[in-house]
Amino acid sequence: MHIAEGFLPPAHAVAWGVASAPFVVHGARSLVRDVREHPESTLLLGASGAFTFVLSALKLPSVTGSCSHPTGTGLGAILFRPPVMAVLGTITLLFQALLLAHGGLTTLGANVFSLAVVGPWAGYGAYRLLRRYDVPLMGAVFCGAFLADLSTYCVTSVQLALAFPDPGSGFLGALGKFGSIFAVTQIPLAVSEGLLTVLVMRLLVQSSKGELTRLGVLVTSAAGGKRAAEAESAGAVAR
Amino acid sequence: MLPIDAAAHSSRWRRRHPVDKAVLGLGLTVLAISLPPWPGAALVLVTALALLLGPAGVPAGRLWRAYRVPLGFCVTGALTLLVRVGGPGGFVSPAPDGPLRAGELLLRTSAASLGVLLFAFTTPMSDLLPRLVRAGVPAPLVDVALVTYRMSFLLLDSVRRVHRAQAARLGHTTRAATWRSLGGLGATAFVRSFDRAARLQTGLAGRGYDGALRVLVPEARVSARFTAASVTLLAALAALTFVLERPLS
Repeated sequence: MHIAEGFLPPAHAVAWGVASAPFVVHGARSLVRDVREHPESTLLLGASGAFTFVLSALKLPSVTGSCSHPTGTGLGAILFRPPVMAVLGTITLLFQALLLAHGGLTTLGANVFSLAVVGPWAGYGAYRLLRRYDVPLMGAVFCGAFLADLSTYCVTSVQLALAFPDPGSGFLGALGKFGSIFAVTQIPLAVSEGLLTVLVMRLLVQSSKGELTRLGVLVTSAAGGKRAAEAESAGAVAR
Repeated sequence: MLPIDAAAHSSRWRRRHPVDKAVLGLGLTVLAISLPPWPGAALVLVTALALLLGPAGVPAGRLWRAYRVPLGFCVTGALTLLVRVGGPGGFVSPAPDGPLRAGELLLRTSAASLGVLLFAFTTPMSDLLPRLVRAGVPAPLVDVALVTYRMSFLLLDSVRRVHRAQAARLGHTTRAATWRSLGGLGATAFVRSFDRAARLQTGLAGRGYDGALRVLVPEARVSARFTAASVTLLAALAALTFVLERPLS
């Protein structure tokens, strides 16, 4: 769920833009440095951006019988790391605002903060933590994608509650109101996105081992025998 | 190509400099969220609609198909303002000024969306992105955005074709099959995007790629007359809002 154009008051729109800026600037600086050192990265990063854009356009069946879209932030963060996702997410959100009329330019800062900063960091943090404790790859991927999706909607609820406090119970009442509306639809969707991400990752382990190793998702046998064996077993499970 | 971008390529204002259109379209959006919703946002809404359907020449059908998306979000969001949580009326009760707040929010968001649509329907992304370098955005970042933009259409097209092929193989007949197909679709998008990037890299290397993607940008100059007229219109809208605010409140 993107916050629509004009939905936030000007002060909130500016404040969320300021809050997002350090993450986007940090990601942009590392991306520019990477591209200057390895010019061929431009094409790979562009492909990653296009993949993120297309992933967010896939229609996901939800439990209510309707369709929704995955955020794609969990998979993106696991594959490309959160700083890169802050930039790719911002580019994707800009394209969505101008090409699809989803989200907006005045709400870009708020949407970047929830979808391109908090979502990827929460998802990637959970994924790394679980991998450190030797949780199987697919379990960690599911939790990463689930948390990335859910944290995005939690932050969106906070953003909306701050902008529109309830007349009776203030911020907390509004947070409960927006949170409960999101909970009905988003918890099943977060589970759906987690499952979809696992399905995608299983296929990628089979078909794109080279790319996943280059991205650091899988570790080569020379670099770490145990992890490689684990990746192999994940591939075997998928088969 | 996506419908809004396709319309922008054949827009009457295509040859105008993006700065001209940004001053007008994004200026209207800023006014919509800054002025009092009544009558400010209402005036902005009418003006943006008149500009889109009149001088900009956007077909009404295309505009409606693009506009109904943000409008749906606006209506859904505004509905939450109709109720209050807690208070003397029970756990959930109608908010006393809910309809007024919801109406104001609806006016503001729909007017602001039309301002952005005025810009989007008249400015192709391929005209806008290369010019961002002159605005101070680092060139490598703009190059990544350009590759993302151009590759997105190809990838969307691939995904559509794969989806059709999956449907033809009865890949969407049951819920389990739908999930399997979706997983395959996501993985195919990843594989194809990386494969395309690798082939593009090989092709560009053969043409002496040195890290900079040079693209031709249509010549256009910022029109002082158009920009001045836009600023005058925006100032007039702001002044009219303050004049009419008290009598209409």
